[in-house]
Amino acid sequence: MKSSDLFRFSLDNLRRTRLRTTLTTLGVIIGIGALVAMVSFGTGMQRNITEAFTANDLFTTLRVLPVRMDIEQMMAGNLDGAMSGMQKRTRALNDTAVALIAAFPEVAIVFPEVTFPVKIRFGGQEASTTLRSLPVAMGGFAPYDRMGWGSFFSSDSAAEAILSYGILARLKLTLAGAGERSPADTSRTWRSVEADSLIGAEMEVITSVLDLRRVMSGGLSADGQPPFAEHVTRLRVAGIRPKPHAFSNEQVQGGIVVPLQTGRKMPRFAFTSMWSMLNHGGRTDGTYDALYVRLKKLQDLPAVRRRLQELGFSVFALADQLEEIKRGFLMVDTALGAIGTIALIVAALGIINTMVMSILERTREIGVMKAVGASERQIKTIFFFEAGCIGLLGGILGVLLGWLVSRLANWIANLWTLRQGGGGEIEFFYLTPWLIAGSILFAVAVSLAAGYYPATRAARINPVEALRHD
Amino acid sequence: MSALVEAVDLHKKYQKGSAEVAALRGVSFAIAAGEFVALVGRSGSGKSTLLNIIGGLDTPSSGTLRVGGSDLAAMDRELLARHRRSTVGMIFQSFNLIPSRTALENVALPMIFAGLERSVRSRRAAELLDLVGLERRHTHKPAELSGGEAQRVAIARALANDPAILLADEPTGNLDSHTAADILDLLEHLNRERTLTILMVTHDQHSAIRLSHRLLHMLDGTITGEESGGRRL
Repeated sequence: MKSSDLFRFSLDNLRRTRLRTTLTTLGVIIGIGALVAMVSFGTGMQRNITEAFTANDLFTTLRVLPVRMDIEQMMAGNLDGAMSGMQKRTRALNDTAVALIAAFPEVAIVFPEVTFPVKIRFGGQEASTTLRSLPVAMGGFAPYDRMGWGSFFSSDSAAEAILSYGILARLKLTLAGAGERSPADTSRTWRSVEADSLIGAEMEVITSVLDLRRVMSGGLSADGQPPFAEHVTRLRVAGIRPKPHAFSNEQVQGGIVVPLQTGRKMPRFAFTSMWSMLNHGGRTDGTYDALYVRLKKLQDLPAVRRRLQELGFSVFALADQLEEIKRGFLMVDTALGAIGTIALIVAALGIINTMVMSILERTREIGVMKAVGASERQIKTIFFFEAGCIGLLGGILGVLLGWLVSRLANWIANLWTLRQGGGGEIEFFYLTPWLIAGSILFAVAVSLAAGYYPATRAARINPVEALRHD
Repeated sequence: MSALVEAVDLHKKYQKGSAEVAALRGVSFAIAAGEFVALVGRSGSGKSTLLNIIGGLDTPSSGTLRVGGSDLAAMDRELLARHRRSTVGMIFQSFNLIPSRTALENVALPMIFAGLERSVRSRRAAELLDLVGLERRHTHKPAELSGGEAQRVAIARALANDPAILLADEPTGNLDSHTAADILDLLEHLNRERTLTILMVTHDQHSAIRLSHRLLHMLDGTITGEESGGRRL
């Protein structure tokens, strides 16, 4: 028996029971559609995050922290134990430490992390945000090597600032000609400006400082006001960062960047958190909360981390976090894939049911085929082929359905994020050629497995009894 | 002259519920090539069982059966399928055509399993339909055919792979006497003109005598007698 005849034979049989074939195939289509939509969502999310990491060069980035106090000991009231453990191993994060790490041959750049919350005032609008301080050398590293508009700082102590793209929206500014959709919320007073007109403009950075007079005159609740005062620093806008990747931090946080020394000199409440207060007790002794280290090569990361730990630092690598995220995504992918697989198993049961029904109906026909010389193997192959056709058709249309669903979901999700004032369109789904091919193969494999029992049963039909069958 | 079919002490036992039923109890006979043999007897005498065993649809419980020189008892299921495909052709009382397929497709069916080319199949199926007198019925489905026409399609199908012997199980049982006579004439014609060996199971002793060379009488699973038919080899 030739395979082309086999194919025609099976298709004929399927065509004769068109409604049933359609419904059975629909089961496979939905199963594969669910599988494809879910797995491509998982893959898409993972790709977005990995790309965001790559775009910001986070893989070669380390944060060096002082060795942490043993919180458990402290909670247990053993403050001495906690402190002594800390003093034994800790090495202060000061300029000496910076110089020490800068001497590592693998290190591209190291600088103290000076980051604190500020309020900014610009063009009559005010926004709360985070201020980061960077050395001018950072202008040579991703992602700061690419500016959207304007340029990086001129020096480490210039009275300049760089705005993130995200902060513009918080200041109710849209850039003319940046291809941005106008926000749905028109009740707010948005202004459309030329990006170049912002470069060189003056802005105000407001920091909170302890108001000594208020502290002296009776502490916190003398007149119901907290003992803080505002300090205003005037800076010139040097540049604006380009539109960030959809999944980067800046999408959410925005923020501004100032030269390292400018940031350090800004008067502010000495500690930014309970944590930093506990760690240095609010001392201003030239120590830092953290150092930011960037390596020349990704491969050096384990070695540098080990050496830093031996020196008594605590090291935090963002790449580790990505591994953690990837592990998380693997679990999410597995769960999503499992749901799709369950749908496909239900579809497989549908195939088994359909084919068993079809064998019952065609018992006499199978008897006739055997009487005129069909071998068991040929009968089996015919039924296998029918199951395979259902799987192939269901697989192909299922991938199509999955793709359509992912397009629709993506469109809805983007409508929603745009309404939230987020940046550009995000691609939430990623349909790889492997996923397409794999899904179709999986559909065929599952269908063939589902066809195995019915096909075997059909092949074993006793022709004498089958010919007597009505 | 060597026999085309040679049965020696064939037994067939069925398990029917808990009881064992003996359908054949030591059947021995031989059929020569070119013979037209009629197998007559009452219902339940084992005629159809014997025919099914010769046709390779069933297997004997014991005894030997050689058809065209091959021992059927030694065949596995694959070889039995080949036997059905190329050595024997069968027709039945109820025609057993596939309702969804045209006359031409029904006749071509055995050739699909034999692996013949599509063009060869169509040409040969058309020739066979012409041979049985259905020149104008090639594309009709079984439901659109009369009983006599349907049986002619079945005969054409049985001849598709050029079998050594045609096995006919009550071929006229579902037909009126006029149509039945036509079918029997066709069988006689095939036997005479194409020297096709035929073994026919029938109730109709009168026709059996008229058409056949030889009659075998069966009762309770054994061959009880043999007589000469109206024709001579």
